[in-house]
Amino acid sequence: MSTATSPLDHVPHEHAAEEHGPFAWVATVDHKRIGILYLFTSLFFFAIGGIEALVIRLQLARPNNTLVAPDTFNQLFTMHGTTMIFLVVMPTLVGFGNYVVPLMIGARDMAFPRLNAMSYWLLPFGGFLLHFSVMAGGAPAGGWFSYTPLTETPFSSTPGTDYWVLALLVLGVGSVATAINFIATILTLRAPGMTMGRLPLFVWMTFVTSILVVLALPVLNASIVMLLVDRQLDAHFFLSTGGGNAILWQHFFWTFGHPEVYILALPAFGMISEVIPVFSRKPIFGHAFVAASTVAIAILSFGVWAHHMFAVGLGRTADVFFVVASMLIAVPTGVKIFNWIATMWRGSIRFTTSMLFATAFLVEFVIGGLSGITLAAAPIDWQVTDTYYIVAHFHYVAFGGTAFGVLAGLYYWFPKMSGRLLSERLGRWNFWLMVLGFNLTFFVQHFLGILGMPRRVFTYPDLPWWGTLNLISTVGAVFMGLASLLLVANVLHSMRRGQLAGDNPWDAWTLEWATTSPPPHDNFSEVPPVRGRRPLWDLAHAGGSTPPAASTSTAQRVLDKGAVAVWCFIASEAGFFLILIIAYVFFNLAGQEPVGPSSSNVLDVKKTAAFTACLFASSGTLWLSERSLHKDQTRPAAVWLVLTIGLGAVFMVGQGAEYLGLYQRGVGVATNLFATTFFTLTGFHGLHVTAGLFVLAIVLGLVLSRDFRGRRASLLRAVGLYWHFVDVVWLVVFSVVYLKAGR
Amino acid sequence: MTTWKLLMTCWALDPLALAVCVAAPIAYVAQRAGRSGARPLPFALALLIFALALASPIGQLADGYLFSAHMLQHLLLVLVVPPLALMGLAPALGPAAQRGISRLLFRPVIAWGLGVGAMWLWHEPTLCDAASQSPLVHRVQELSLLAMGTAFWWPILAPRGASRLPPLGGVVYLFTACTACTLLGILITFSPVQVCSVFAHPVDRLGVMQLVRDGWGLTAQNDQQIGGLLMWVPACLVYGAGILGVVGRMLREHADDGAMTTEGTP
Repeated sequence: MSTATSPLDHVPHEHAAEEHGPFAWVATVDHKRIGILYLFTSLFFFAIGGIEALVIRLQLARPNNTLVAPDTFNQLFTMHGTTMIFLVVMPTLVGFGNYVVPLMIGARDMAFPRLNAMSYWLLPFGGFLLHFSVMAGGAPAGGWFSYTPLTETPFSSTPGTDYWVLALLVLGVGSVATAINFIATILTLRAPGMTMGRLPLFVWMTFVTSILVVLALPVLNASIVMLLVDRQLDAHFFLSTGGGNAILWQHFFWTFGHPEVYILALPAFGMISEVIPVFSRKPIFGHAFVAASTVAIAILSFGVWAHHMFAVGLGRTADVFFVVASMLIAVPTGVKIFNWIATMWRGSIRFTTSMLFATAFLVEFVIGGLSGITLAAAPIDWQVTDTYYIVAHFHYVAFGGTAFGVLAGLYYWFPKMSGRLLSERLGRWNFWLMVLGFNLTFFVQHFLGILGMPRRVFTYPDLPWWGTLNLISTVGAVFMGLASLLLVANVLHSMRRGQLAGDNPWDAWTLEWATTSPPPHDNFSEVPPVRGRRPLWDLAHAGGSTPPAASTSTAQRVLDKGAVAVWCFIASEAGFFLILIIAYVFFNLAGQEPVGPSSSNVLDVKKTAAFTACLFASSGTLWLSERSLHKDQTRPAAVWLVLTIGLGAVFMVGQGAEYLGLYQRGVGVATNLFATTFFTLTGFHGLHVTAGLFVLAIVLGLVLSRDFRGRRASLLRAVGLYWHFVDVVWLVVFSVVYLKAGR
Repeated sequence: MTTWKLLMTCWALDPLALAVCVAAPIAYVAQRAGRSGARPLPFALALLIFALALASPIGQLADGYLFSAHMLQHLLLVLVVPPLALMGLAPALGPAAQRGISRLLFRPVIAWGLGVGAMWLWHEPTLCDAASQSPLVHRVQELSLLAMGTAFWWPILAPRGASRLPPLGGVVYLFTACTACTLLGILITFSPVQVCSVFAHPVDRLGVMQLVRDGWGLTAQNDQQIGGLLMWVPACLVYGAGILGVVGRMLREHADDGAMTTEGTP
């Protein structure tokens, strides 16, 4: 229960240095500071991505314009897309989540504060890698989806795509780490009484989004690793010249890409679900429906990627199924829209800037959703795919939807973060300029698309209406630029001179408004009791009989945050290996065997079986070690650990010997697709075993050096889970690669 | 033969379907006497779909003609009939019997294996061919699919809350099963080789192949693709509906106001 640590018995000294030292912001592990770092970093990249967009629009303002060269134009739209998705929208949503989620559930920090800091610092690092390409010979120019074979070395010879891959790998690791952190935080650190059913919708949607990130990002990571192997090691995963398959890239990319759309959208839905009820003075209409439809969207998102590929020619049969499945997404999304409207219905609405943006979100997002439904019909898609109709559609979803949602969230939570309100007067200018600019820019692009103007062209001939519509679009973009400047001015001005906010300026209901603005280092001096979905409302109307708060709180402490994190990590790694295994099966087992070396003529099944036995035995010894440790027998535990490490090392030696033998027979990564897929799959498994060996060595050191009881035991359990997982992966790899070879 | 004629005439009096459809309602009514809360509608729906899967043209075409019809039958027997029947059973089973079933047969890992196995096992080319050639094997297939489907759905829909998986576990259980099923669907959809060679050259006892190949324009390749896509997309939706059900149950049980009691939790 509310462990009433008053600010006085709390020791502020240990934090004092951390809060004010020269590296206070660099070294911070406080979720609030990290959240603000995220937000300012994404604001910085938003400026870069926005300037890129303005240059694109200026180039397209007139027919046959020559402001930028074609190749520069390609780099601009690639960088704009990549920047906005990976360096602006995702970090912004993570930033808000970081700041608000622990507060909303009554926690003191995220589950893993240091991991949180690492996730953040990977963001500037990834952004730096991406932009370093400009100095290294040219930015990536193959679009944010990097379609092969265009992005393969023969067609993109500058290192731009390599930097794109590296940057996305770094950002991907950061995103997965944050997602795991969110899941562990939400599952294990909720205040008493805060059941999953009472979670504020923003927290719920961050939770669902995090699951999507954990499952979808590894797919991207695995496929860009393959692209990197193609580019750096002359392999042919996606190049038809060596038997590879360019369409496979599209399948992999959109398996990630479609869930990514919802990763970008769902948290914004969550913000809207917080803002609309507070400013309508009504609880959200159909809380469970909003929550459950989020899950429905998340599930469907994994089943519809092929609708990005109607123009590829998957065949009528496949098209029909994906048309229907894609249209189904309109159902849970529509449910949400109606819930939000019903919440506003007959509410006493206060049109603050935040609420204005939320209302605009409803309108713009419905337009984007409707154009999305038209695109789900394959024949319409064939007509307008790769035209400005698509550009209009996804900007209505990503800007009219996500960005407006985020702006609503910013005006809503800024007082909590800074202690001061954003100026409403500037806010109104900001809002109307943004709405006007946005619709001018993108609404006309629907018409341009239907008139046949293709995307990603650096200029266009002077056809009827094209010049006029494009000019309107460019004027709109300038308005959006001005609106963004106003926003920055408002933030900078209000941070210092804004009206003081107080704890709860909006008279809102969720826990973050129960503490001071900005909150103290440990967030709460006392977490209010949670007896429903609106704890502060319950607190204010506490008259009469209040039911016991802790009725369901006993069950929620059972989960161990370390175990949750390891299981999420395993799920994510499983996704990574699944894609590598699918690539192996696709190239080796689905059709005829590749010419040249293949699993049946170069692999020695018996020898590998012996090394495999060693690896499996190591799982057994690790289990014995865990058991000894559980009984506080440190010495046998250490012996079993040494044995585990030894067996793992033997396996690695076996793999090394196998690689050496293959190398001596002239089989390298680039020899043929068997060799490419074999080395990629087993190599990554080997890397994981090696990493596991290092971690086990660290654990061994800890066991030998000091008392290992207590919290350390859960460390060994976590490491053990990972090690068993690596063995299970090898079980699959061994069956698919070696045992299938015998047939 | 026309499509209409096919729909009207291709019905078989399946003895198994007939027996079940007569016996089950009687047993259901007898069991239900004196107990409240049973839901006859899902139970009746389960019986109806079961009968359709076996006796209707779906069942006939599944018998060596169309891979897609076979897949439809397969999915109905694993993913639709068992969950509906379990939903209808609510209190019809005594608590002791339920605990017994849960403890003896249906550990989640095993149930998961059976549910996923039902998908993969019977699409092993030899088994798939055997099932569509020998009536005996076909019968074994149908019954085993029902049994494995029931085992699979038990941890999610067991009439007593205590036998069910906790919500998060249930979501993971269904999602991983969906992934495994999707993978097979993708494999079948894009596989250039015939999964069950029987369906490539059916023995035309009913005289419908001309209608299928020329009238409907279904080639053997097309037919297999539809089968794969059925397993890939709609099957996934069933698992998805299951996940939604589990999440909905969780949200309902941890109700808005503390005043509302939690129901269903032990």
